[in-house]
Amino acid sequence: MNGPISGDKTAAQLHRLAVDEVATDTVAILGGRHGKHDALDLMTGAAGYTDDISLPRMLHCKILRSPHAHARVLAVDTSRAEALDGVHAVLVGAELPIPYGVIPWTPDENALALHKVRYVGDPVAAVAAESEDLANEACRRIDVRYEVLPALIEPEDALARTDVKIHEDNKHGNVTKRVQLAFGDVEAALAGAELVIEGHYRFHGSTHAPIEPHCAVAVVDGKGLLTVWSATQVPHYLQRELAKVLELPMRQIRVIQPAVGGAFGGKSEPFALEFCAARLAQKTGRPVKCLYTREEVFLAHRGRHPFDMRYRTGFAADGRILAVDSRALLDGGAYSSFGLVTTYYSGQLLAAPYVFGSYRFDSTRVYTNKPACGPKRGHGSVQPRFALEVQLDKASRALGIDPIELRRRNFMGEHATTVNGFHVGSNGFLLCLDAVERASGWRDKWGKLRPGRGIGVAGSCYISGTNYCIYPTDLPQSAVQMALDRSGRVRVFAGTSDIGQGSTTMLATIAAHELGVELDDVRVVAADSDLCPVDLGAYSSRITLMAGNACLQAARTLGERIRGIVADVWGIAADQVVLARRRASEAGNPERWMPIQEAFLLAEGKLGLLGATGSYNTPKTGVHGDYRGGTIGASPAYSFTAHVAEVQVDEETGEVEVVQVWCAHDCGKAISPVLVEGQIEGSVYMGAAEAVMELHEVMGSGLRSDGRKRDPGPGRDGLLAASSLLDYRMPTSLDVPQLSALIVEAPDARGPYGAKEAGEGPLHSAIPAIANAVFDAVGVRVDHLPITPAKVLRALRERPDRC
Amino acid sequence: MLRLPVFDVAAPDKLTDALRSLADSQAGARPLGGGTDLLPNVKLGQTRMAMALLLRGVGELRGIERRGDNLWLGAGNTLAQVAQDEQVRDALPALAHAASRVASPQIRNMATLGGNLCLDTRCRYINQSEFWRQALGGCLKSHGSECHVVPGGQGCVAALSSDTAPALIAYDATVEIASWRDEGVQTREVPLAELYDSDGTRHVRLESTELLVGVRAPVPGLNVRVGHRKWAVRKSIDFPLISVALRLELDGALAAGGKLVVGVLGPRPRVLDLKAFAGRALAPDFARDLGQLAFDRCRPLPNVPYDAEYRRERLPVEVRRLALSLFGDQAAQS
Amino acid sequence: MPIAEPLDPARARRIAVVRLHVNGQAYAVAAPTHWTLLELLRYQLGLVGSKQGCDKGDCGACTVLLDGLPTLSCITLALSAEGRHVETVEGLGVGGEPHPLQRQFAERGAAQCGFCTPGMLMSSAHYLDELGRAASPVVRQQDIAAALGGNLCRCTGYTKIFEAVQAAADETCDRARALADGPGGAA
Repeated sequence: MNGPISGDKTAAQLHRLAVDEVATDTVAILGGRHGKHDALDLMTGAAGYTDDISLPRMLHCKILRSPHAHARVLAVDTSRAEALDGVHAVLVGAELPIPYGVIPWTPDENALALHKVRYVGDPVAAVAAESEDLANEACRRIDVRYEVLPALIEPEDALARTDVKIHEDNKHGNVTKRVQLAFGDVEAALAGAELVIEGHYRFHGSTHAPIEPHCAVAVVDGKGLLTVWSATQVPHYLQRELAKVLELPMRQIRVIQPAVGGAFGGKSEPFALEFCAARLAQKTGRPVKCLYTREEVFLAHRGRHPFDMRYRTGFAADGRILAVDSRALLDGGAYSSFGLVTTYYSGQLLAAPYVFGSYRFDSTRVYTNKPACGPKRGHGSVQPRFALEVQLDKASRALGIDPIELRRRNFMGEHATTVNGFHVGSNGFLLCLDAVERASGWRDKWGKLRPGRGIGVAGSCYISGTNYCIYPTDLPQSAVQMALDRSGRVRVFAGTSDIGQGSTTMLATIAAHELGVELDDVRVVAADSDLCPVDLGAYSSRITLMAGNACLQAARTLGERIRGIVADVWGIAADQVVLARRRASEAGNPERWMPIQEAFLLAEGKLGLLGATGSYNTPKTGVHGDYRGGTIGASPAYSFTAHVAEVQVDEETGEVEVVQVWCAHDCGKAISPVLVEGQIEGSVYMGAAEAVMELHEVMGSGLRSDGRKRDPGPGRDGLLAASSLLDYRMPTSLDVPQLSALIVEAPDARGPYGAKEAGEGPLHSAIPAIANAVFDAVGVRVDHLPITPAKVLRALRERPDRC
Repeated sequence: MLRLPVFDVAAPDKLTDALRSLADSQAGARPLGGGTDLLPNVKLGQTRMAMALLLRGVGELRGIERRGDNLWLGAGNTLAQVAQDEQVRDALPALAHAASRVASPQIRNMATLGGNLCLDTRCRYINQSEFWRQALGGCLKSHGSECHVVPGGQGCVAALSSDTAPALIAYDATVEIASWRDEGVQTREVPLAELYDSDGTRHVRLESTELLVGVRAPVPGLNVRVGHRKWAVRKSIDFPLISVALRLELDGALAAGGKLVVGVLGPRPRVLDLKAFAGRALAPDFARDLGQLAFDRCRPLPNVPYDAEYRRERLPVEVRRLALSLFGDQAAQS
Repeated sequence: MPIAEPLDPARARRIAVVRLHVNGQAYAVAAPTHWTLLELLRYQLGLVGSKQGCDKGDCGACTVLLDGLPTLSCITLALSAEGRHVETVEGLGVGGEPHPLQRQFAERGAAQCGFCTPGMLMSSAHYLDELGRAASPVVRQQDIAAALGGNLCRCTGYTKIFEAVQAAADETCDRARALADGPGGAA
């Protein structure tokens, strides 16, 4: 792997001098090629995931789910289940009547159905029994009477059929959210454009499918403290929602997130299992575990929203984007989830890295009788990015401009404001384009490969966390407590969720770098609400920037104290003391040093116990527009990405093989480059899979807008087409393209050492790059994802030279 | 996790004991080779089993040996053993290929040849959880009366998704079936093609007391070429969406006959005779005509989880490519 | 999960004793007849390294070596392991030292969430075993990819896993060559 590609060095001033001076000494830590801090535990089976927890007297919980896509629950009779020996409690919706939802403005879910079920799989009742077998048997003995209602499966039908309401108390039919925003005069700009490209795009649903299924364990102790272990990526929001639904004060709830086996957004809100396990633990006085089957993971979903998008984009003759006009219909599924945010993101996150002369978007999210959609890696912005980047490719062909060049011409620059008012700091997008152009051999390939072989490019931008918390608060978004101990170790306490992305490693790296210890000398205690300060969780790619800054603040406070004490002893200035490699030493005089442990002891002796805190809160002024919704999608710092994909298309079968993808990602500063590469590779893999393979599909057409009515009885409406890891085809080791991760560093003043996100941005433009490569290969567009062989064949048949 | 229902287990180490268990109708035993098909199906509640009869210890089911002009393969050989065995690779290369393309390395280590031949039929409306199938309201193969693949259909059309069956049929293989009757082992041997019935709910023509113990395949002479080709979305793990085998009998440089065996259509492989092509040169137009034959005579159904129309379009391409691979240099030169 | 659960007479279950070797240690373990090997390992022996990801043999997270061969323990009956040798991820390292695969996976970022890792390691270990037995071992990426074809990973895109296995395989080959060239070697 090549070294990082450095950005404009004007940003170098962002680094403190003292850190830079010792950088040569500590390169092995900050920016060094280390693996994960906790890697060996992952190798030996010692990591400890939620399902690995087994407590004495633990009961097992199973959830009974609705077989109907849309029905009223008339009666639930649990008596036969309760009569079963070994069944300790049965739970129904009425016992958890308070609705919840991760967005406080849209609480529309109950752990167990109160009066209605809204998708096949909606939870209805839960059982705690001595074993999973018994719990399953008990579920079979719960008798539910339903009144089946017409199901709305397609979003167009949900929009049209206002007579059928999925949520009765929703204000606007089945519309959960509509956002219409305009910046500049789009119509005038389109009228004056040299070229207007119109496109109709469909983005299909896909799901996270982490290999670890959701799992929760709950126990109540003698003082009434409820402890919940959960495979979640938002322990703080889980604690809040548990408090709300169970009507307990936060102080009586402890949430612990053990090792999590992947999440990708699929564990970023509370789910039925956590409420059920907790309530059943309260009811029985015994520990209760609830582990989802793989099918239940597919039902829990919260995956990528299917989008139907119509785009009009106006261009000047030189390729400049004069206007972007977007209309999108979002298929939300049965509940709101993060949908309010998704609807904003579907427009708000598109306005970089290019200058839009004018911009308008109109996005509508509707309820349908399907598993709820939510945030999947690149929340809400992967779909419009696909449309825009294909629009740009079409324009480059029409205008005769190399698509990389077209993107360069539209580059917004750094320290610039987007058309919708977001302030962008550092911006390494041009470096990203350069990197993929060079690495892929673009100039020798684009338009020049043999028929069937093609290459395509696309670019994108993503947020490093959002400026505002999900609920209104002025409190810090991230905080860290740090303590030094007498053995020379550093302990970091943070609410951060490591879901595999490596946030624990990031914290350890910063602490080790600042305090001159080795990575192994740092102990990170994370994601335990009793032991750690609040962090909002692993979503929106926020942790490196936010918790990283908090960690840096605490570490620097401690570092300064130690340097001060050592400097006093040596009679030199504090800034002449360097902490590195388990030593405190004098800058420029390596002969003078003491072990770092001695420095810690010296400082503790003089100052008392060494502890510090760090907090991070986002800037609130000058970062976003001051219109309604102008704060949603604003971030302290933005990452940038460019992809080049090379594909091989079999014109006889229509099959697209993604041969290689080069992805250059501007993460500001790679604190742990091996992990950043891993995020890039994993993102590109996931994007490529969405482009050509994966599909989270629901069967049936339900009640149609044209009035045609299907039999609303038990039937195929609302059933998942693929609810196993066999039928939901995610790429195997033999299906994955060659992935080339190129790290670009344009440090941002707001990130720790300039760092920005790396976990989600690198997914976005993989998909349009592949779509554009398919066009380069065979001259046809597949604008309705995924790019299946059947669609390619159909398009080939309609290709002008074939007609 | 998804749990198995309660059942008994018996682990005989002699064929006679295994057959006796099967003959005891009270036991309700199901033969279990590798279990890679049976146990997921039992977990999903689509197959019921009172007793699992573990066959792994039965020595008579193992071994691969030359018997005269035939190669005999015990039903208990794992697919990995079949794929790697030198005799199989020499004598029945299309079978080795088919076995090597089944599912994943782990499954090939576990699954047996007999199990792959007796694979339960598959369908998007069957290979689902109990919950899913109840929500559907069942189907012909699963406590229901309606076929969702062929509306109004009276017979189950779930697909045999075996990779080895088409290959072995192309080799004119026969299967050896044993049972315990009249205080002794009774055996019968039937052509593999006749093992299968068109009813997807009971597509393997074995009595519940019978066990498939081995396969006998005549080793083809130099004038016979056999090949197998599989297509699935993923290059590993997946069941086939297309599985075809081609037997080409030659008279000098020209075709004399043979057969095309097409799997994953319905409950049994479709066998198409190629006598009509006698005299054809091994040239691309012959390969194309074989593809056309498959297209004309086979209609993939929306039973397995993939676009059936596309499978139909793809089938002739796969057949043509398979034919070309068997033609070898002759086709490339013409 | 306790074996001793309240017995419903109508559902009386059979419990058998399975004698097997796990990571070199002989055990006699009581298990209900319908339990899988994965359940036996996780619930009875506390070997929670082997993971359950898909319920039915689709993902490979439960992969163990059964008599040396990668096997899906979630669709293997516990009783099928009678008299056999099982190796799990817990037995991969020797004397507290990580196996070369574990070290390479750790250093090269081949695990992110780590949930597929135990199964991935067992398939990789088998690949190395085979490689070590080959007369003239050659490390090829396509062989590595094929060996891991039954282990789904959702985090890494497999790239760093390939790199790690390749590095460990190169070590194996180097060792084999050193052994062959060294004193007392075949040369």
